Parts: sequence; C-alpha cells; structure tokens
Amino acid sequence: MSNRAARNLFIFGSLFFFVIFLAFTYDTMGKLDQRAPEVTNEVNAGKMVWHKYDCIGCHTIFGTGSYFAPDMTKVSDRKPKGYLKQFIMDPRSVNPAAAMPKLGITSAEADNLLAFFDWIAKVDTNGWPPKPILAVAAGVGGRELTAGQRVYQSLGCSNCHAINGIGGTSGPDLTRVGSRRDRAWLFGHFKDPGEYVRNSAMPKVEAPDADIRQLTDYMITLK
Amino acid sequence: MSIKYQSQKIAQDFFTFAVVLFLVQVVVGLVASLQFLWPDFFFLKFNIVKTLHINALIVWLLCGLMGATYYVIPEESESELWSIPLAKLQFWATVVTITAVVLGYIWAGINPQANGTVLGTLTLNEGRKYIEAPRWADILIVISVLVFLFNCFMTVLKTKKWTGIQGVLLGGLTFLALMYLPGMVYMKSMVKDQFWWWWVVHLWVEGAWEIIAGALLAFMLMKVIGAPRHALEKWMYLEVGLVMFTGILGTGHHYYWIGTPQYWLWIGGIFSSLEPIPLLVMVWDAFRTTREARNVTNRAGLYYTVAHAIFNFVGAGLWGVIHTLPEVNKWTHGTQITTAHGHLAFYGAYVLLVMSMIYVTLPAIRGVKEFNPSRAFQSFWWMTISMVFIVLVTTGAGMVQTYMERLMGLDYVTVKATYNLWFWILRAIFGVGFLIGVGIFVVDYFRLGREPMPYVSPAPEKA
Repeated sequence: MSNRAARNLFIFGSLFFFVIFLAFTYDTMGKLDQRAPEVTNEVNAGKMVWHKYDCIGCHTIFGTGSYFAPDMTKVSDRKPKGYLKQFIMDPRSVNPAAAMPKLGITSAEADNLLAFFDWIAKVDTNGWPPKPILAVAAGVGGRELTAGQRVYQSLGCSNCHAINGIGGTSGPDLTRVGSRRDRAWLFGHFKDPGEYVRNSAMPKVEAPDADIRQLTDYMITLK
Repeated sequence: MSIKYQSQKIAQDFFTFAVVLFLVQVVVGLVASLQFLWPDFFFLKFNIVKTLHINALIVWLLCGLMGATYYVIPEESESELWSIPLAKLQFWATVVTITAVVLGYIWAGINPQANGTVLGTLTLNEGRKYIEAPRWADILIVISVLVFLFNCFMTVLKTKKWTGIQGVLLGGLTFLALMYLPGMVYMKSMVKDQFWWWWVVHLWVEGAWEIIAGALLAFMLMKVIGAPRHALEKWMYLEVGLVMFTGILGTGHHYYWIGTPQYWLWIGGIFSSLEPIPLLVMVWDAFRTTREARNVTNRAGLYYTVAHAIFNFVGAGLWGVIHTLPEVNKWTHGTQITTAHGHLAFYGAYVLLVMSMIYVTLPAIRGVKEFNPSRAFQSFWWMTISMVFIVLVTTGAGMVQTYMERLMGLDYVTVKATYNLWFWILRAIFGVGFLIGVGIFVVDYFRLGREPMPYVSPAPEKA
C-alpha cells in the first residue's frame, strides 16, 4: 500500500465511522426521553446540588464516578427518605462511623437531591446494577422462612441492616441483636424509633402489630 | 544534539510546567490513597483531592503534548514558529488560568458554599469528573488551545511543507479541541449529561490522544534511531486509522448502563473489543524499527519510547478489554477494576509518552551532546514496578469487590472497609515507591545537561 493510500484510508475511514456514530447518536437522542421520567425543576435543582458539592468526586452514579463511596443509581429504592435526608445533611449524627463529611447541605437542597435520586432510580439502565446472584438465591434456597424472616425481607430491612454479613451498613448490625435488646424494647422501637434512640434516622415500621410481633420474635432469636 | 530552530525552546517552558504538575498529581494521589484508610487524613476531603489528582493529570499531559508539538512543528516544516511571542503569551495565559482553577477547587473544598451559581453555571467547580473546570475557565482554555493551533497551522501554511507526521499530529490536536466542546453544554437530564460527557472523555483518550500518540511515536522512532520516514508514516496512518475505526464506535462501551438504548451493548461490545489491535500494531512497529538500531546515542529516549508502546498496549488495551464485554461489564462496572484500568492506561499511554518526548527532545533543547541516562533508568523502574503493583492490588480489590458486592450482595462499605483493607494498605506503600520514581525524574529533568558528565577514572595500571 502506498503512503497516499494509507493516508486516504485513515481520513475517509475515520469520517465513515464518525458518520455512523452520529447517526446512532441522533437515534439515541430521540429515544432517551422515553427511557426516563420527565425532568422537573426540582430534579434539575437536585442535579445542580449533586454538581455543586462535587458528589461524583467520591460516589458513582450509573456506575461512573470515583469508586470511593457507594453507587447512587438505586439509592432511592433502597433507603428510606427520612434516613437519607438526615444522613445527607449530617452523616455522623446518624452513623458515627460514616466516612462522609458534613458538607453544609441545606434542608431544601437535600429535598431536591432526593428528587434527583428518585429520577435517577427510574431511568431504564438495561438492568444495571444487576441483582446479586447469591443474595437473591439465599431467600429461596428451599428452606422455609419463618414468619418473622418473611416480614424482615418484605420490609426491606436488609437494605440498611446486616445479619451475618449480608445487608447494609447504614444501620446497626443485627447479627446478635437478640442478646442486646429485649422484646419490649424491640417492639416499642419498631413502632417509634425516635423514642428509643436519639437522632435515629430509622423510619417507623408501618405494618400491622401482628407482623411487628413476628419481626420481634425473629430479632430475639438472633443471639 | 542541538535544535535547529530557536522557537523549539518554547517546548521547555511547557515541559517544566508539566513536570511540576506531575509531581503535584502524584503527591495528592498518595494523599487520596491514604484517605481510603483514614478519610479525614487531610484538610481537603477525598472529592477535592481526587479532583486535583485527575485534573493535574489531564493538564500536565496536555501541556506536555503542546510542548512536544511546538518542538515537532518547526522541525517538520523547517522553519521558525509563526510567532514566538504568541507562543510565550499562550504559555503564560495557560499557567495563570490553570493556577486560578486549582485555587478555585481548593477554595470550594474548604467552603463548598463558595461554589455558587452565576448565569446557571457553577463558579468554582462544575462537579463533573475530569471536566470540573468552571465555564469561564473552559472558555479561556478553548481560547488558549485555539491560539496554539493557529500558531502551529500558520507555521505550516507559511512554509507549505506538509509532512505526514505533522499532519496527523495537528489533525489529532484539532479533533481534541473540537471534542472539548460537547462537555460545555448544560444538560438537565443526567443521562444526556453523561452521554455528551463521554464524547469528551472517551473520544479524547481513546481517539484524539491516541492519534497524537501515533504521530509522536513515529517522530520519536525517526529521531532516536534514524529510521526512514517513509515506512514510519505508512504504519502511522494504519495505526491511527485503526484507532479511529475501533475507537469511535467503541464509545458504545460507555453507553451500556447509563439509560441509553440496548443496541449500544452490541456496538460497544464489538468495536471496543477490537480497540487493542492498533495498540498492538504500535508495539510491533516499535520493535520492527528498533531491531535495526545500531548506534543509539540517546538510550533513555529509546528506552522510554519502546516502554510507552508496550504499556500503552498493556494498560489501555489488555486491562481495558478484560472488562469491556457487556456480559462481564455488567458485574465489574463501577468497581475498582475500572480504577486499575484507568491507572495503567494513563501511565502507559500518556505519562510515558510525554516522558519519552521529554527525553527525546530535552537534550537537543539544552544543547547536550551526551547525558548520563542512569537517573532516567532508575526513575523508570521505580515508577513502572510501583505502578504495576498499584494496578495489581487495585485489580485484586476490584475482583473481591465484584465477587462480594455484586455477586454475594454484601454492602459496599463492608467490602471496602474490611475485605479490601489490605489492598488499600499495599496500594499506599507502592504509591510511595511511585513518588520516589517521580522525585528522581524531577531531579533528572532539572539537572539534565546542566551538570558535567560523571568522570570515569581510567583503569589503574597493573604494578
């Protein structure tokens, strides 16, 4: 091949692929709005909060960012609103072990940020992040769950709490909670966490008393 | 070795600024690695430290590439630059802008409320990875790059002497300048925001920058070994052509999970898995050319040039292709595997590229006939061994994270704080090793050609 032919191959080949890329880009732009909810003013204000505090300097969103702190794509599905708001505004008042500093985010900014996270969680991301294989499998492993375990699962407690290493770290570890607390404390705490723990960011458990009693029974067995 | 055109000296100003920023980048990188162990270790939080780490990287590489271009253009067009004062002005304007941006980041880090909104844009830190620079700085940077390109093109137009190397180099730089623009438009939708953001980030590092690397590789092989231009330019066209054929649609590997249509899984998967091919051709090209090398006076220059070709392939190519297929990426996306790839790719493809250009051109700029390359070799091995281990431990951390968080369902914080703890400790230790290597390089950069060659005592006569 002559140098001239090689040069032309480079120039026109590159243009060819760039034109294809532009065509796909055009097509994608037309489809994006159907794959996500409408961006309200609140969501946009929340996005500006996300940028203002350089959140992506630690966190990731859609898996892109800095890998130093948890991904925020589905955070709004996994954690209660009240907890998130309190944590965002003053992380260590909720969880003394938190690495996140108090950035001075105001109450209004936190509300907008939560609206933004709500929007992000509803975007069609082709199934990302995937559901963990083993954690999903553990719930249907052939062994019958107790009534209390079923309540624990259905309320999504493991989003914030861990038992035997599986679950979140936002709330206290429950692996041996039965040896620390008695039945009355647990039951009352489920009804109104703020009454029992100062600054608690845990929401009240909105479930029938019968369910809460079963959940309490389950907690007592964790020793 | 000496320069033919006085304007080539301007390259040294850019190199010096680049070397200083390189040192800053690695110092804050070490701080960041310690913050994985103690988040409150420094007066700036991780987000700002990380912003400084990657921005210093981008800016020093860009300055290195601009310096390299100011060296190449006069030599290739056989003429002085169109305007030396304009180049000087552009240099100082760049230094002032960058310094202002850095001070802005630090200020916003100390007092986030200072990062207010004016005319809909944030004034100190835009909070978008790699392109955190606020809008006013974006505009100044664009002007600076346009002035730089204008100066280079006027030089070439003046002499009407077009060579393949300078054509591809300026083409790559023009593409680079154009691809900065999509990052400057505000998008209300985070999906669109990230879509255009990847035009900047991906089409820079896996497009424009690799084109520049291909042109500079050809230039360096010609300078160091005296290889014939004709064959070098032909292979250069093939390399940069393949970079574009695979890299442009390879952008699709960033459009798997950000809210974009599913067909990107196919486009991205197919084209990005071909991206290592041009990088492999570059390695082969470097070996093919150096095999014929006989009397190489600039051994350090040759060493770095070949190392750049190899680590470009390993870091950008291999470490990228292992997690680029959607079936794999679904599990590894957003983990430390990406961090590992990022580190080896930037080190191999661009850090070593700018360093080789410095070692190839600096002796001529300083008018040195021969220089002692021992510090260049020392710094190379300190940096390279440290970086390889940084990448291996980070890859290990990424594998543990992928398994425990993504497959088993453990919490991010649990994995980071407990199972990956020793990886962070090891990474910080190897970070110190890398800093030592950079320190040796910085000393070598400032002293090269400014100290006498070591005196070698003649062998004592036998009694």
